[in-house]
Amino acid sequence: MDPEKPQKKDKKTAVLQGNEACAKAAIQAGCRFFAGYPITPSTEIIEMLSGEMQKAGGVFIQMEDEIGSACSIIGARWGGKKSMTATSGPGYTLMQEAIGFAAVTETPTVIVNVQRGGPSTGQPTMSSQQDIYQARYGSHGDYEIIVLCPSSVQEMYDFTVRAFELSEKFRTPVILLSDEVVGHMREKITMKPLPKDKGELTRIYASSPTEDFFQGAYSMVEGQLHDELGRRIGHIAPKSGEFINKICSKITDNIKEIADVEAFCMEDAEVAILAYGSVARSAMNAIKLARGIKDDRIKAKFRIVKDLFVRGVPATMQTDYSHLKVGLIKVNTVWPFPEEKIQELARNVDLVIVPEMNIGKYCREVRRALWDKTVISMPKCGGEIHSPNELLDRILEEVWCK
Amino acid sequence: MRINVRFAGAGGQGVILASVLLAKAYGLGEDYNISQTQSYGPEARGGACKAEVVISDDYIDYMKVDKADVFIAFNQVGFNKYKDTIKKGAMVLINSTLVESDDPDHYRIPATAIAEEMGKPFVINMVMLGALTKLMPKLHYPAVEEEVMDNFSASIAGINLMAYEKGYDEMEKELEKREKNNTKI
Repeated sequence: MDPEKPQKKDKKTAVLQGNEACAKAAIQAGCRFFAGYPITPSTEIIEMLSGEMQKAGGVFIQMEDEIGSACSIIGARWGGKKSMTATSGPGYTLMQEAIGFAAVTETPTVIVNVQRGGPSTGQPTMSSQQDIYQARYGSHGDYEIIVLCPSSVQEMYDFTVRAFELSEKFRTPVILLSDEVVGHMREKITMKPLPKDKGELTRIYASSPTEDFFQGAYSMVEGQLHDELGRRIGHIAPKSGEFINKICSKITDNIKEIADVEAFCMEDAEVAILAYGSVARSAMNAIKLARGIKDDRIKAKFRIVKDLFVRGVPATMQTDYSHLKVGLIKVNTVWPFPEEKIQELARNVDLVIVPEMNIGKYCREVRRALWDKTVISMPKCGGEIHSPNELLDRILEEVWCK
Repeated sequence: MRINVRFAGAGGQGVILASVLLAKAYGLGEDYNISQTQSYGPEARGGACKAEVVISDDYIDYMKVDKADVFIAFNQVGFNKYKDTIKKGAMVLINSTLVESDDPDHYRIPATAIAEEMGKPFVINMVMLGALTKLMPKLHYPAVEEEVMDNFSASIAGINLMAYEKGYDEMEKELEKREKNNTKI
């Protein structure tokens, strides 16, 4: 770099849609190959990259379908470019085979799934969190995967960059599991340029990160289980077992480094809401409503409110519940499941409520980790996120009516 | 301060674009935190369309609007659908060419008529945005003007700016009229 050139500003503020932020972050993180097939609600990523990618000196291809998209990004990564694809529910289903292939060939690549309502074509313009298990268990066989779940436009930007970093570090496909609300929401964000060494991460990888694809090193990109030199070992049981353990343990052994779990007001909390993605934003508002302002004068009012609530009068935004000690556990890396962190954060809590925009899937995992607590699932289907009042009503119901 | 704004209208009227420009003007021009969301059907044109903007000087947690402080109706269907989910004393702005309302407190602007008079029916959203800019608190004319300039290509930025200005002036006149009536009483 020429030191005499005027330095660009450190920070850049813009109002962007979640999907646009994801596209900008991909370019920023060094992604130079994008293949995709447009599908609501992820189309804006493809739309933006169709122009931006070429300006950045990369390649953009609109593929014939999602199967082709997912396969081509694996090929592109082995050809030496950081690659990404973006899709939504039905397209994500088609990509599963390629995701398994990326996992077994240890290909670092990023797949964005902006979730919409399903199954099948489902609800193109509505939101959901129904793919939470598909993101983890979508492809056949044993493998571990990293899944990031953003809840705001800023996080969509930051997590896209992190997804590339994690995929390169652990040589694994990383899923960015967004949803329609985050993808289509516009917010003000700050785009931080990456440190120079991170911006230039694109290297030519072969069978290992140190080898050059074109210099005659042993390299065989193989879907069958293989050893370090790419030789097939699918017929040798002990070696195959070793291989599976290797691709799984590189992620499970590093959960501490990967896990990103945020806590709000958990220091003195008796009730916790555990949420991920856009629902976490409603939950944060519900906590503010529940905590209100700290004021002793409200205690008298509190008794009246409680009577009313038990008699079936719903809570309102205006009511103050300053005595309710509610906290939020916000899970940013939903897979691998950050069990230890959640257990640690929830150690003083009696009751955990898990609101989700699906039939209550992630709750099962939480229940397994917090087996000694009461864990209540709060599913909502139909494509709208929980309103803070709904969450508050549920908290009151559990605390007062039982 | 948290202002909940809701736009309602038909797909194709530019409802979402108007909300985006409002959000950008507040976010970039006036330096507030903003969050803009929308919901629409699978159709490209026609069908109900709703856009929401939350403006706050604090971090915005819940990004949707439950009860609106400001409600803008582009057509009758949208007006009827959302007129009851507004706060008491909320500010309501209606496109009086297409929307009928019997509440004298509602602000009226004949946006469709003005746009058609200009010979460009598609600038209706800019007329509404102009009127809204006059009514919104802590929002200044140049902040929105800049966003209008930025978001259109040069060939159509002019006509959109004209429409925006017309909406603004029209609402200014309307407000003066209201003031006169109030002082008479």
